[in-house]
Amino acid sequence: MTATVLFAFYAVVAIAGALGLVSANKLLHGVVSLLATLVAMGGLYLLLDMEFLAAMQLFVYGGAITILVLFALMLSGQRAEADDRAPMRLRWLPAVVSVGFFAAMALAVSQAPWQISPTHIHDTESIATILFSRYVLPFEIAGLSLTIALIGAVVIARQDDMAGVEDVDSQQVAQPAEEEEVPA
Amino acid sequence: MIGLNHYLFLAAALFSIGLYGALTSKSALRVVICVELILNAVNLNLAAFSAYVAPTQAVGMNFVIFLMVVAAAEVGLALAIIISLNRRNDIEAIDSIRRLKG
Repeated sequence: MTATVLFAFYAVVAIAGALGLVSANKLLHGVVSLLATLVAMGGLYLLLDMEFLAAMQLFVYGGAITILVLFALMLSGQRAEADDRAPMRLRWLPAVVSVGFFAAMALAVSQAPWQISPTHIHDTESIATILFSRYVLPFEIAGLSLTIALIGAVVIARQDDMAGVEDVDSQQVAQPAEEEEVPA
Repeated sequence: MIGLNHYLFLAAALFSIGLYGALTSKSALRVVICVELILNAVNLNLAAFSAYVAPTQAVGMNFVIFLMVVAAAEVGLALAIIISLNRRNDIEAIDSIRRLKG
């Protein structure tokens, strides 16, 4: 009974946050609304007896990725009042596609014969056991790809600072007011 | 009693909302955020399957962890590209970005 009430609460919060993201005029409000969804999904993981995933959800999504997106929003300097969504006359096709996708998924889910397992055991230890035995190579590759991606992110984001002198000069001639002077 | 199908319906709804948001967006940043929402819906699917179908193996939970790694790498790279594009020529709309090379 308690689980049902909690699931309903978290589900409503998650859906409301997602709808707030797609309906917000300002992207900043949308990101804050998405934060509610991410935290609610942490609660859903707790309901599934997955404490480790709930903690990771709060740390990685609720903390790191939200802050990263807010920083990018601030640094990219988008105009606060501008509505960055498609005009209303172009929104019907995405809406049809999304609703159709949900209908297809709901139909498939309701008809699929899942083999529900009777036991309901989850512990963090089993994650570690399988992660460091059977999936140790994907684990290493995941760490390597994360390192490469973040190094690449730094390189891409700093590309203008590291570009050749003539390249920067030609850009500054083309758009004089674009580059702000950063003291090295 | 909450079963597997409830989680799957919820994840499908979140996925659809994220899909709608990504399709109706003009700014690259909003697309990235909506893709994050979609990845979260997939995570919920995997976790629900792990809990209800194969709870003794914890494979689905490992997939969720790998997907979180991929999502973190993806959002870091995407935000770097967006910042770089913005700094270069103040592009806001994704349909006006025609070249990514150099």
